[in-house]
Amino acid sequence: MSDIKDPIAFELFKNAIFSIADEMAVTICRTTYSGILRDNMDFSTSLSDGDGQVVAQGLTVAMHLGAIQTALASVIRTFEGDIHDGDVFAMNDPFDGGMHLPDIFIFKPIFVDGKRVAFASTTAHQADVGGRVPGSNAADSTEIYQEGLRIPPLKLMERGEPNRTLWSMIEKNVRIPVQVFGDMRAQLAACEIGARQLTELIGQHGTEASALYMREVTNYTERLTRAAIADLPDGEASFEDWIDDDGVDVGQPIRLFVTVKKRGDEISFDWDGTSPQVRGAINATLSVTRAACFTALKTVLPDDAPNNDGVFRPITVTAPEGTVANVVHPGSCAARALTGFRMLDCAFGALARLIPERSMAASDGGNVGISIGGYTKDRDPFIYVDFSCGTWGGRPFADGLEGNSNLFVNMASQSVEVTESEHPIQIPRYELAPDRAGAGKHRGGVPFYRDYRILADDAILQCRADRQVVRPYGLFGGNAGKPGENFVDPDGNCQKVDSKITSEVKRGDVFRYVLPGGGGWGDPLERDPQAVLRDVRNELVSAALAAEEYGVVVDTVAWQVDEAATEARRAEIRQQRQGDPGDVSWDDDGASSPFPTAAEVETER
Amino acid sequence: MTGFRVGVDIGGTFTDIVLINAEGRLVTKKISSSVSNYATAIVEGLAELFDSAGIAPDEIQEVMHGTTVASNAILELKGAKVGLIGTDGFRDILEIRNLRMPRLYDLEWVKPPPLVERYLRVTVPERIDAKGQVERALTREAAEAAVSKLVDQGVEAIAVCLLNAYANPVHERLLAEAIEANAPGLPYCISFDILPEIKEYERTSTTVVNAYILPIVSKYLESLEENFAAKDITAPVLLMQSNGGLTPAAEAARKPVNIVESGPAGGVVGAHAVAQQTGHSDVVSFDMGGTTAKASLIENGAYTRSQEYSVGGGIMIGSRLLTGAGYLLKVPAIDLAEVGAGGGSIVWIDAGGALRIGPESAGAEPGPVCYDQGGDRPTVTDANVILGYLNPEHLCGGEVPLKADKARDAMERIIARPMGLDVAHAAYGARQIAISNMIRAIRAVSSERGRDPRQAIMLPFGGNGALFAAGMAEALGMTRIVVPPQAGLFSAFGLLYADVEHHYSRTVRTLLREADAGQLAAVFDELETQARAQLAADGFDLAETTCERSANLHYKGQIYELSVPLPDGPLDSAALRTLEVAFGDEHERTYGHRAGSDEPVELVNAQVVGKGVPPGRRAHGTYSDAGRDVAVGAPRQAYYGPEVGWLETPVRTRSALVDPVEGPCIVEEYDSTCLVPPGATASLDSYGNILITLGG
Repeated sequence: MSDIKDPIAFELFKNAIFSIADEMAVTICRTTYSGILRDNMDFSTSLSDGDGQVVAQGLTVAMHLGAIQTALASVIRTFEGDIHDGDVFAMNDPFDGGMHLPDIFIFKPIFVDGKRVAFASTTAHQADVGGRVPGSNAADSTEIYQEGLRIPPLKLMERGEPNRTLWSMIEKNVRIPVQVFGDMRAQLAACEIGARQLTELIGQHGTEASALYMREVTNYTERLTRAAIADLPDGEASFEDWIDDDGVDVGQPIRLFVTVKKRGDEISFDWDGTSPQVRGAINATLSVTRAACFTALKTVLPDDAPNNDGVFRPITVTAPEGTVANVVHPGSCAARALTGFRMLDCAFGALARLIPERSMAASDGGNVGISIGGYTKDRDPFIYVDFSCGTWGGRPFADGLEGNSNLFVNMASQSVEVTESEHPIQIPRYELAPDRAGAGKHRGGVPFYRDYRILADDAILQCRADRQVVRPYGLFGGNAGKPGENFVDPDGNCQKVDSKITSEVKRGDVFRYVLPGGGGWGDPLERDPQAVLRDVRNELVSAALAAEEYGVVVDTVAWQVDEAATEARRAEIRQQRQGDPGDVSWDDDGASSPFPTAAEVETER
Repeated sequence: MTGFRVGVDIGGTFTDIVLINAEGRLVTKKISSSVSNYATAIVEGLAELFDSAGIAPDEIQEVMHGTTVASNAILELKGAKVGLIGTDGFRDILEIRNLRMPRLYDLEWVKPPPLVERYLRVTVPERIDAKGQVERALTREAAEAAVSKLVDQGVEAIAVCLLNAYANPVHERLLAEAIEANAPGLPYCISFDILPEIKEYERTSTTVVNAYILPIVSKYLESLEENFAAKDITAPVLLMQSNGGLTPAAEAARKPVNIVESGPAGGVVGAHAVAQQTGHSDVVSFDMGGTTAKASLIENGAYTRSQEYSVGGGIMIGSRLLTGAGYLLKVPAIDLAEVGAGGGSIVWIDAGGALRIGPESAGAEPGPVCYDQGGDRPTVTDANVILGYLNPEHLCGGEVPLKADKARDAMERIIARPMGLDVAHAAYGARQIAISNMIRAIRAVSSERGRDPRQAIMLPFGGNGALFAAGMAEALGMTRIVVPPQAGLFSAFGLLYADVEHHYSRTVRTLLREADAGQLAAVFDELETQARAQLAADGFDLAETTCERSANLHYKGQIYELSVPLPDGPLDSAALRTLEVAFGDEHERTYGHRAGSDEPVELVNAQVVGKGVPPGRRAHGTYSDAGRDVAVGAPRQAYYGPEVGWLETPVRTRSALVDPVEGPCIVEEYDSTCLVPPGATASLDSYGNILITLGG
């Protein structure tokens, strides 16, 4: 802190700037028109210095960490020399710094005494940006042009005046302009509040000191992050995992491969070995790949460092261009979150090999995205978009969570009753599904399932799910979680369908998805029999599976563990076991890899 | 009538008893809260007061009570064994919750265990659709089967919450009948009676919490009344609710979910009363104790309330965006923001070299370094001792001796030297950072809701409130502070000022411009009839009751609502248009923007607040014992930051302020210390409040 004359004033500045970024987030959250923003909280806010370096990010979505600076850099690159007080910029182009088309970024430069001192930024997932499928989120689009309106960095406001051309273009190209404009207004209001308060703060501390403090807030974060990384053991580890498919080339698995190298106070994640980009829309921009790595690392480190550019300096993330981890034009990427979630699992896997005591077995692999859209009898458009995830893998010290959002997004669910009152949709069932969690000393989280019944005459239903083939891995002797499943007509014909579908549906149709179960951690035979008993009594694990996987025999009349029978059963299972299970398991029996070799995949293509 | 009114407030460490009569005679007592039976302890404490003050039991007019019985039952997971009946397909609403967790990047997060374990959650075959139409009828047999299943498991109470029951309670009522027939006497609650509002998780959680604490709370209240009766106290007992209103004991026993935040509400009610006394309508109440600081906003003479909150969720620093901790209650409560900063908060340097305060606290054990009870890490209280704000030798009029040297050594060694600061500057910095943390609580209830705190006065209480008030006010640009007497007993005082209040609401969901005004008026009338019936049962004449109507509104498609009062006069289509405009105004005021006038506004919930206001039952304005003056020492040196430095600062008693003083000045009292910084002036008003005006 060499340049700081008054360390106390610096602390006060730091507290204040983070509180402003949070207040911007509150503004969006409370005034939004869409469940995706209010409940799924798929938005971010931040304050950057005049050069676009992010100083403070509001607490919302881990997936956006690192995304705003990429997008802002693109705006500055495009408009440098033509950025004025009263301007506001908008963009969403993934090939020019964006993430995917539904995420519209809005930036407001902040001027003090005629000098640009900062930017207030927001990004928010809009419920629709046009394109071939309502919700603009389809996994099976094969090029960016199908995915909706593509906005390069442009001025949304010019010296305080709205750019009518851009507003009209947006209005005519989205299905529900009232909702989209409502949410863009919320973003603008958040930028306004951020700008006003930051200007006040800079007024209190002076322009020069404020610039220094903004820089120092990121340096401080860098120091905290480096100190925490230095505490980890040095080493190198790789991990391989596979995405089921991209929803277009159904049945063709997609390889994720990461190598983590940790040395001193720096760490790198290299995605060399990852599959080439695919036709379906699950290709990730490098910003999503970076966010996955930051999230994995920040989860393993003590959570102390604030969110800003300082986090990134000791972390290097690389991915070859043209892979699913670093998409190039004209690849489609609307459903890139899927790959982001899976990269997070993959990065966790590599880190588990370096730091087993801070590991987690695989989660459900991220959220299932559902969009249902169409027109009501009065030709009013409706679009329902929901993302739900819910199971964690087992941890060295506790079971995986159930009914809890993924670490990458921390989204809340939307109310069933609100959904039913606003959309021609009924949700007949939404509850936990037993016997699907990966067994372990600390078992994986129990997944839930949910049914949708269509009440409109006709509509388009789109589902994006994964880990229905390649299961959530278990760690250190724990079993893999059961795969997720999709069904049509679950109470009748119960027809199993692909993990990623876009299909026309009509009144009365019922669709069900079941999340994958979380992977288990540690040998199931070491699980406390009382914990197994509790799971059996709560009908999360059947008595039969308790005996088979955990070797625990439960008396279901007296609700007691039969200790003698349990001891015998566990001895029997131990005797039947062969060989070392290894550190990662992909099925119920141990470590056998379910993966094709990269060469096999290439041949199939 | 010269009878006494009694306020009894159970706090974490002490239970405070305050008696006051119409002449302003005041009697107070503190008893320990760590007792096995609160009811007995309270009554014994009162009996001792009667003896020492010469008061007869029949002089007691009414007893106002703030209690932690309900919140403790939840925090300690010691509530009843509850069975929950839900709709087929929705067994796990209570456990899945809203999916969200309160922190990002937290590998160690463990969800709070559901208050009803899964094997005690049963479902019934039934379905009501979103419009309230029965789609699949519940049979009496199925209802009875569900009830007997739970009874067989030995549940102590039953909660019922069916999907879409807010729109039609017919199946919940059938289950209620089945419970009464098959398990007569077993406590139960149905969600339509507790919270007839949309959103299944919020309604389920609230209904379950009610059932969970109902047996404990009703038993406690029964025992309290029995103990009172045994000592010939026959006065009615009223409970403080989370919403700032009182409710009779019988109603509290039926809906204990309303009294969970009973304690903190009392202080805000007191702040409201003092504000009215002194003619202020906008107030920020600031309650700071040893481990936490709480803030609330009173605007235009009315409390601000939140529609839901979590109990046992720990403290959310600053932003309250990340929900998911604790147990959700959707009942109106005074909107209190809390941060984990208090006198005991530890001062430390993190791995990035930044000076940090809390959230770890030295607590009562070992306490701050200056208490010399084994604490070796400097705290905020130690900083105040080093700065000369707190008496360097003792607190509480000499009852708690202090070792200022030890505080200074620890601050020097652990903070000042590593940061390259002198010890006074380090202590001053620690205090300033504590202030900037606590400001987030005030911002959460003011600027985050579009309210400018600078218009308001600050009203500090709690052991540390008056010590930090000037610093907080200065940082927020506020200029006026009112420090009431008896800061340490303030929550108990607040109880004496409250009114009986009942809140009712119902989900309606209709666009204002398409609404049938007659139908809407009927809904409000029904809620008002409910409110007046309850108030009549509480013993109020019709003339003593008032009903306030308001509407929860949003632009169609939005999810969060704003509450707007209904215009006066009949509810007709003109009134609905006025309401629509009023909503736009409120939206703009709160969030800084509004939609075009063509965007439809939707009414979500109708709300009615019924109040019982008997003439002249407010507590007396002045007390004959306005604070216990303690012997104060000589002037001392105090530090006011690097620009001002050390100044000799006189030390006064509160009563000495009848002659206004210029800061710097320190006012020492038995249970709190008030700092008047340089440039400020302080005086005493006729009610015994210290009025501080900041310069500049």
